[in-house]
Amino acid sequence: MKFIIPRIALRNLSRQKKRSFLLGGAIAFGIMIVTLINGFAGAFIENVSENFSYLMAGHVFVQGAEKTASGKRLSVIRDDSIIFSALRDSGLDYEFATKTSEVSASLYFEGKTIRQTLTGLDLATNLFLRERVVLRQGSWDTIGPDSIILSEKIASRLNVLPGDRITASFQTITGQNNIADFTLAAISVDSSIIGSTMSYVDLAYINEAIGLKSGEYMALGFMLRDLKAAEPFAARLYTSMAGMGIHLFERSAGEEGTATTPFQAMMRAQRTEDWEGSRYSVYTIDDIVSQAKQIVVALDGASLVILLVLFAIVMIGINNTFRMVMYERIKEIGTMRALGVQRKEIKSLFLNEALFLAIGGAVSGIVLALIAMSLLSLIDFGMNTPAFMIMKNGHLSFFVPPLRAVFNVVIIAILTLLAAYFPAKAAAKMEPAVALRTAK
Amino acid sequence: MSIIEVRDVKKTYPLGKVEVHAVKGVSFSIEKGDFISIAGPSGSGKSTILNMIGLIDKPSAGEVLIEDRPTSGLSDKELTRLRHEVLGFIFQSFNLIPVLNVWENIEFPLLLGRTKVSQAEKKEWIDWLIAEVGLGDWKTHKPNELSGGQRQRVAIARALVTKPGIVLADEPTANLDSSTGEQIIELMKKINRELNTTFIFSTHDAKIVDVADHIIRLKDGLIVENRRLNGADSMDQVKE
Ligand SMILES: Nc1ncnc2c1ncn2[C@@H]1O[C@H](COP(=O)(O)OP(=O)(O)OP(=O)(O)O)[C@@H](O)[C@H]1O
Ligand SMILES: [Mg+2]
Repeated sequence: MKFIIPRIALRNLSRQKKRSFLLGGAIAFGIMIVTLINGFAGAFIENVSENFSYLMAGHVFVQGAEKTASGKRLSVIRDDSIIFSALRDSGLDYEFATKTSEVSASLYFEGKTIRQTLTGLDLATNLFLRERVVLRQGSWDTIGPDSIILSEKIASRLNVLPGDRITASFQTITGQNNIADFTLAAISVDSSIIGSTMSYVDLAYINEAIGLKSGEYMALGFMLRDLKAAEPFAARLYTSMAGMGIHLFERSAGEEGTATTPFQAMMRAQRTEDWEGSRYSVYTIDDIVSQAKQIVVALDGASLVILLVLFAIVMIGINNTFRMVMYERIKEIGTMRALGVQRKEIKSLFLNEALFLAIGGAVSGIVLALIAMSLLSLIDFGMNTPAFMIMKNGHLSFFVPPLRAVFNVVIIAILTLLAAYFPAKAAAKMEPAVALRTAK
Repeated sequence: MSIIEVRDVKKTYPLGKVEVHAVKGVSFSIEKGDFISIAGPSGSGKSTILNMIGLIDKPSAGEVLIEDRPTSGLSDKELTRLRHEVLGFIFQSFNLIPVLNVWENIEFPLLLGRTKVSQAEKKEWIDWLIAEVGLGDWKTHKPNELSGGQRQRVAIARALVTKPGIVLADEPTANLDSSTGEQIIELMKKINRELNTTFIFSTHDAKIVDVADHIIRLKDGLIVENRRLNGADSMDQVKE
């Protein structure tokens, strides 16, 4: 055939420029929307993980747990020397290690009250905090043992200024009610990556208030150089700790055939199982946000539905257009048949046109989506937006998995070919004499 | 040896509940190199007969033999191949492919099927044809940039490009003014002499009929005259 059929098909498309443009444009629009969703979903997990790891000051965590005689579970690491020696053994490298204890507390100041999670860490020495948290008022120099750092938003809701005394009420690890006073040392800028939700107190002070001894704390977080290093780091740390005979919760105890993630299984084991002494769990930020992956699956599913719905509509348009085109070109079809073009070549002429239209439209759609993404990612939403968790430094970010894009193009090509198939077949079936007579 | 033989061919079209007997049983033969006019009033069956000879329509009864080959049992694919190999077509309204230019329109049939010609040979042949039909300066023009007469010249070149034994032309001059029409017939006649291609054309025009060396005249689906002229060897008169 020496490519004469595709050549004519391509030229036929430019014959009715407006029509081709509208159909191709409809395909491009659909693909653009779907690619945007895919791009958003593609970057979603990484953004959420990265932001979570800043909030939680770590990519990999080790948590200690104990069961009291009454069956109550305590979160505590009594002696971290074994963890650090396991770490040294495995030769693992990290940027910061942060020891934390957390307690849920009510803060009171002059008749105002607010519920907050207080994160206790070593305020005097924690480098990570000093690097990431920007202070609006107060300074790191005024940090004392009873200091608290609040975000602008919380400080203004409590109406407090540096130097004010705030009272907190909370429960100790054994479940007794307790109160403690804090001095507001500094107010942090809301727009820092840590966001406006965090309240920091000194680890030693809060430990004492909730009934932990000095040197004890709840969780140890490791900030790594790269999020991607989290899983291998956790795996090697786990092996190393297990090798030293440390009692650990199973990391990969996902139950077959259930929606339970390994992390959820580990959490359940902590609730339901009984053990003696300290038992440790090792987990990564990925484990925590693994449920967010279901959102990605949902987004990708939604994009597929949108793709199919949009293209059901586009297909009707293509089907109608090709039926019309068949009548418009009836004389050409008759002529070609008389000159020796076979039925299947007439069919492939139409299918070629449909395919070029689909691919042209789909590729422009992807290009448009990429342009839209780079424009959208220029917008600075700031850190105050509640949506900052799904963003990258306050900007939308996108990643389109290449296979996904190819998949979309293939789907469109198949659907378009399907829509053009019956008109193409009808055109091919027409008797040449009939086609030539019909046209005048 | 006849290049075409039509044996007792009938064609009936269903038209709603009734049937139209467009061709009611005709037989004739055509010799290689003939320049034949199929004449007759409107509705007499000229187009119907040409379509059946051209293998784009099938007789309801009877047989059409092309180069001694019966065609009634052939599949659509075989008929298409046979059309491509032995027949050329010229149409009343030119029927060029609008997206192809003059050169490409003429080349088109060569790109179909399994014709094996070298690129150089092909180019030389098409250029010769273009010169022959007098369109040397119009090679890259699209059909819509040409006059009717020029378009029909392209169509003639296209019909000849596969070197067919037979060229069929259903009222090739009907959409042209009379002097252009005469030029087109002259051109066909010239090629008929030079290449010994058999031309079969239908027409209303008495003046054009005179150029033919074999006239088949139809009326109401039957032959009323079948005559070879200019010292042609046979002269069958009509039985009615
Ligand atoms: N597809 C068809 N369906 C029904 N009747 C048809 C069909 N094609 C042709 N006819 C009829 O068959 C007869 C012969 O038609 P045909 O087209 O062969 O005549 P013609 O000699 O070519 O006429 P004209 O000079 O007008 O082109 C006419 O009566 C015509 O109406
Ligand atoms: Mg006719």
